[in-house]
Amino acid sequence: MGRGQTPAPSAVKQCCAAVYASDAARLLLGDSFHPGGTRLTERLGQMLNLTPRTRVLDVAAGTGTSAVRLAERFGSEVVGVDYSRESIEAANGQVSAKKLGGKVTFKCADAEKLPFPDACFDAVICECAFCTFPDKQAAAREFNRVLRPGGQVGLSDLTRQGSLPPELESLLSWIACIADAQPVSEYAALLSGAAFTVSVVERHDGALVEFINQIRTRLLAAEVMARLQKLSLPGFDLDVAKTLARHALAAIKEGKLGYAIVVAAKEP
Amino acid sequence: MSTVLETQNEIRANSDRHRVDSEYVFHELTRSICPVCRRVIDAKILLRDNQVFMSKRCPRCGPFMALIYADAEAYISYSQYNKPGTIPLAYSGKAERGCPHDCGLCPEHEQHACLGIIEVNSACDMDCPLCFAEAGPGFSLTLEEVEQMLDDYVRTEGQPEVVQFSGGEPSIHPRIIDFVRAAQARNIRFVMLNTNGKRIARDDRFLEDLNEVRPALYFQFDGFEPETYRVIRGEPDLLGEKLRALDRLAEIGLNVTIVPAIERGVNEHEVGRIVEFAIEHPAIRGITFQPAFRAGRHLPGDPLRRMTIPDVVREIEAQTSGKFIASDFVPVPCCFPTCNSVTYAFVESGRVTPLPRILDVNDYLDYITNRIVPDFSHEIRTALEGLWSSSSVAGSDKSLQQLAISCQACQLPDKLAINNIAKNMLMIMLQDFMDPWTFSQKNLMKCCKEFLLPGGKQIPFCAYNTVGYREQAREQLVAMEPERRRARREGRPYQPKPIVFDFDSRSPA
Repeated sequence: MGRGQTPAPSAVKQCCAAVYASDAARLLLGDSFHPGGTRLTERLGQMLNLTPRTRVLDVAAGTGTSAVRLAERFGSEVVGVDYSRESIEAANGQVSAKKLGGKVTFKCADAEKLPFPDACFDAVICECAFCTFPDKQAAAREFNRVLRPGGQVGLSDLTRQGSLPPELESLLSWIACIADAQPVSEYAALLSGAAFTVSVVERHDGALVEFINQIRTRLLAAEVMARLQKLSLPGFDLDVAKTLARHALAAIKEGKLGYAIVVAAKEP
Repeated sequence: MSTVLETQNEIRANSDRHRVDSEYVFHELTRSICPVCRRVIDAKILLRDNQVFMSKRCPRCGPFMALIYADAEAYISYSQYNKPGTIPLAYSGKAERGCPHDCGLCPEHEQHACLGIIEVNSACDMDCPLCFAEAGPGFSLTLEEVEQMLDDYVRTEGQPEVVQFSGGEPSIHPRIIDFVRAAQARNIRFVMLNTNGKRIARDDRFLEDLNEVRPALYFQFDGFEPETYRVIRGEPDLLGEKLRALDRLAEIGLNVTIVPAIERGVNEHEVGRIVEFAIEHPAIRGITFQPAFRAGRHLPGDPLRRMTIPDVVREIEAQTSGKFIASDFVPVPCCFPTCNSVTYAFVESGRVTPLPRILDVNDYLDYITNRIVPDFSHEIRTALEGLWSSSSVAGSDKSLQQLAISCQACQLPDKLAINNIAKNMLMIMLQDFMDPWTFSQKNLMKCCKEFLLPGGKQIPFCAYNTVGYREQAREQLVAMEPERRRARREGRPYQPKPIVFDFDSRSPA
């Protein structure tokens, strides 16, 4: 049985020695951490009753995939904001390619200080990003401010409850976007604290399981490539990655890690 | 004083009165059916000479014995691959009469439906001596029926992974392309088309349609010799058409799984050549060997001498000079572990690397535990593309960009390399379906391959073919044909009617 070791770190070039576990994690997770994909985005859109007359704000829009999807599916006007200039540039590129006729626009902005006047949106969505905001209460208050009375906010995000195995804790700390996941009750509390009335909490743990299984398939492909000697992954321990994925699945099964949608309404 | 007779009796009575052991190990008890009258009866699983047998007795029709598995050691060891099943979102039946008469699925079933099979018609452009579907003129489903069956499948599964269109010969159904589209529109990830390949070989317009909807192909292919095709398919000159169809599928880049039925004494000697052929042919991503079983139309045969999974594996090992060996094959935990075995191999320049030799199978077993992998090469391709997606998106982590551009030790594969790796993956699957001689209720309860029917019932494959479901369904499906034609003539939608089953009045007591 030829189960060889990955190359010793000393044998690799300097730039490869700089591959930290966080980069490896990014490699596995891909560019966007979005369990549930477009299916969940559309579900959010349905729950927010989006129509061609709705003006939607997509906070942390990333490279714009969800914003475009919502415009295509529901006909709504969508404004996407993101903190990263590169993401906004990529998003604008996507929009011009799709010829959406000005329905979808993007702007670089900070979720905790939105560059919009009061009450100028009918709906706000924030997918898998709320947990990354340093001041979540401020962000929630901003969502409330820019919504017209009676407007709704829809969040989808990672949830965590209770303690996780230490290896999983340390991995999560490297992945910025899920480091600060909260129990779903905490998201609801933050929204209530910003004068929202929570109307729906919907669990979508299955989407997270599916996402992790995609990662495990990538691990399988990576391991196959490595063992066929078509790929070397210096500094990246496949065994650790496989164990982490297993821990993540166990944590979901035990209810410690999950994914949920929360919908709340501003007072009419 | 004793008479001669009494003396003889005494002698007989005093003859060797030491007990002898039976020649077999009584491994377990299951339930089966009588191959003649279909009554449900107990069956013993016996181990003898490293083989596994089923021994049963019908009170009316007498004793029956069949070979189940030609490797008792492997059979016993496979219990470690028996993993928890998955629960479907809804059941279409109730547990009333008891297994196997409550299909399906009833709440006593131990697995969800991984694969839904829709037989769209009964007619075929061939008349094979071996046909578990008993193909012949009879019925032809409407789009309304197929759409309803697909909706029912989604209702019970949530996100069904695979649906397979079969028949008869599904490619000759006038609406087959619409059926494929209907399945794809319902978010069913993989749509497979079962076929003998004839229409693909002959019909350019059909090939164009296939190119557009791009289903996965499940392609019947028993070997290369005229005698093979004469005996099994009734057409000795079939090979040319089969090869032409496969080449045309390669031209449009569709992925094909070839499906050989292996009958002892007919084509087991062709197994090696089939494997080599699959390795070389650009369209073929997998082989599913199916030992011939005695349901529907079948060739006469001795149930004690049938081909079982270990027999096919031994032929593969012998005929490929060890490119594949027995330990490369892993029991599939999705159904009962002794029903299916599989291996995946990377093939490059004639060199074959079965993945179980380079990976720890136990790390990835749940990858195949509660699902069917419809196209492993597609999975690998998607996974590899996903792995490197961050290096191709603007604005990704700077150190990863450095990795992509300047680091040679990391050798990130480009799109071409990914494609080559994916296309070089070959799956070899072995599926041993049951028939009235080998039917075991234990295996049936964990079956993950179901026939979908109008009205929403899902009948496990081996129950449908052996217990009597197929016959009852066929009768009803054929009886609906006049109404289907009327609806078509009058230009109105056809109202699907549910298929129902009755085992009370028909049971032999």
